[in-house]
Amino acid sequence: MFRSIDDVIERFSAQQYITNRNIATVVYLATEMKKPILIEGPAGVGKTELAKVLAAALGHELIRLQCYEGLDEAKALYEWEYAKQLLYTQILKDKISEVVGNAPSLREAVDRIASEDDVFFSDRFILPRPLLRAISSEAPCVLLIDEIDKSDTEFEAFLLEVLSDFQVSVPEIGTLRARHVPLVVLTSNNAREMSDALKRRCLHLFIDFPERAQELEIVRLKVPGVAERLANDVIAVVHRIRKLDLKKAPSISETLDWAKALTILNVNSLDEQLVAETLSTILKYEGDIRKAQQELKDYVQLQRAKLKTPRPEGDKDVLH
Amino acid sequence: MDEKLVEFSNLLRRNGVRVSLAESMDVVRALDLVGLSERATVRAALRTTLVKRGVDVPVYEELFDLFFSGLADAIQDLTSKTAQALEMDDPDFQRWLEELARRLEEAGIELSPLARALLSADGGTLERMMREAAERASLEDIQQGFQEGRFAHGVAAELGLAGLAQELARLQEQLAAAGAGDPRLEAFLNRRLQDLSEMIRALVRAQLQRQDVTRGDQQRMQALSEKSFYYLSEEEIRRMQEAVTKLAQRLRNVISIRRRRARRGKFDPNDTLRKNLQYGGVPFRIIFDRKRKDKPQVMVLCDVSDSVRNVSRFMLQFVYSLQDLYSKVRSFIFVADVGEVTRLFEELEIQEAIQAALHGNIINVYAHSDFGRAFKAFHREYLAAINKRTTVILLGDGRNNYNLPHEWVLRDVQQRAKQVIWLNPENRMTWGFGDSEMDRYAPYCTVVEECRNLNQLYRVIDRLVAV
Repeated sequence: MFRSIDDVIERFSAQQYITNRNIATVVYLATEMKKPILIEGPAGVGKTELAKVLAAALGHELIRLQCYEGLDEAKALYEWEYAKQLLYTQILKDKISEVVGNAPSLREAVDRIASEDDVFFSDRFILPRPLLRAISSEAPCVLLIDEIDKSDTEFEAFLLEVLSDFQVSVPEIGTLRARHVPLVVLTSNNAREMSDALKRRCLHLFIDFPERAQELEIVRLKVPGVAERLANDVIAVVHRIRKLDLKKAPSISETLDWAKALTILNVNSLDEQLVAETLSTILKYEGDIRKAQQELKDYVQLQRAKLKTPRPEGDKDVLH
Repeated sequence: MDEKLVEFSNLLRRNGVRVSLAESMDVVRALDLVGLSERATVRAALRTTLVKRGVDVPVYEELFDLFFSGLADAIQDLTSKTAQALEMDDPDFQRWLEELARRLEEAGIELSPLARALLSADGGTLERMMREAAERASLEDIQQGFQEGRFAHGVAAELGLAGLAQELARLQEQLAAAGAGDPRLEAFLNRRLQDLSEMIRALVRAQLQRQDVTRGDQQRMQALSEKSFYYLSEEEIRRMQEAVTKLAQRLRNVISIRRRRARRGKFDPNDTLRKNLQYGGVPFRIIFDRKRKDKPQVMVLCDVSDSVRNVSRFMLQFVYSLQDLYSKVRSFIFVADVGEVTRLFEELEIQEAIQAALHGNIINVYAHSDFGRAFKAFHREYLAAINKRTTVILLGDGRNNYNLPHEWVLRDVQQRAKQVIWLNPENRMTWGFGDSEMDRYAPYCTVVEECRNLNQLYRVIDRLVAV
């Protein structure tokens, strides 16, 4: 576990994840209070990444449950391996007839089979899905429940039950209790509002697009060999574009992609032409691209106008 | 601190942030863990445990500042100002205070708790005592700015300010008599007495601000929902637009869920048996009875004449959202002519589209309303497009300038359509008076609703979606 909030920041940055004090506080509290974290925020700000980094920083295993519409218990918790059970009964036919063989009556035979049925409903034939794996894990682990907003409300209710006591009852086996309470991270893109009951059980964390300085730091860290001037330009443009009313604002990962692409192209600083050509790496809708181009054109003109204005007299004197 | 947290939770609740008991308990635990030394950390800890919805964050931020800056800072501030006035820096001042306490002890003078807290600059105790006094004086009842003085008096009385003044005067004499006179002492005692009144005023003012936030916001929202579309300022229009957009989003969610359920379909035994005859009747392939999606078709006719100018902007916005929402929406605007704006709304952004529709690009919007004529034109041009799945929505006041109403058009429309909904921005009481032809039109409509403000629109939309 973490020793303090600063410890969180340090160990996260060792994992190449730059975080602010706000996020670190929430992470620290979650680990100390053993409460799930519900992370919300726009797409591509590093919600899922946070869970991965958390697992890595703590040296725990990461178990991931990706939610989607129609996800049910069988896919999330456990399933009996019917095929395997069938196969075993086929292979063991002889043994079974041996057990049943000398039974005087049908009733007796059924009773004998029934007394043996825990052979077939045992750990051997259970197919653990992420939730059960997290609960029955030997070592402490981080359970990432990704895009919980995509799941149905029924599943959310079921999840609530699991998250509140970390135990699962399998009718044929009994109740399985978690050896270590897993650290749970839920992420949501806010496609729908999560229920109050779920939110109440979680610590809430809203991650927004990072501040300029922070994003610059991320770019420098994640794109090795990026020119300083280029990194500055990229961040300036991206932050400008995010202010527009777009269908989808460029995310951090797209900023990184862009910076990477430009670095590969051996670019040291941005110009109008280049931006127009590569804008499609950060914007994915035709309308958005058009809007951004217009905005950037205005911006470039403004910059030029600024450059053209003569420097004040005082400056010159100092220079000479 | 716990009390303060409970109070803060209550404040959040009063401002529409849902805070459960479990969450208030979490806060206490969280603060135990992170400590109280750093304001930013406390803020983050409180936010993560108490605020679970993005929309509540601004409210939280505002209230946090109001609640946790106030008194402690004011007390601190006034104390250091006093120190400055006595021309001492902080460590000097502390030493001087200790010296004073020692002298008091030597002289065998017993102080009241309030005086002790005040004279030893014990901010924590002082704050607690002031809060208790405020509670006894029922400071939370304060409503208006002009009551500030009265409540300040009340708190001062509960705190025992008069008694304190006497006590301090007596103290000065006693110390002087004991031969421990200090020129700074007199100034110090006077300052502190003033400081305390100042602190009380700060306390009252903070409470008043908090109250303002609570009441103000509730009233603003309430007023906005009930307000007629006719009387809106720019700012209110902006907020209304947000609400309409939100509404459309909610509609979209509701509809997508309903569609999803329908898609799954029910088990169809007949078809299953028939399909599985080839497998010897063993149900190998399960057949579901998938319902055909009955996509709602909507035709909206929106009056954009002068009499409903302010409303039509919103009505058009509603139409626009609707068109965004259902796949088959045809939108029309009319005054004396009728014109289709479906393409326009599809191609343009909302503001531009509305602007274009209202500025006569499609039809002459400066003519006098003539529902009859517009209806007749609609009948001629578009009646064929209406079928039994179509919902026809009419938005208008039904004020026909005494022209022929031609209500038979509506009858024909109703016979062909699934339903006809008329939303009228006018007060129901005025329908049928003057040139209003609502009484003639209403019989041919499935639903006739007064729709002047957001609340009514909400109700209508709920009904629309439920159909």
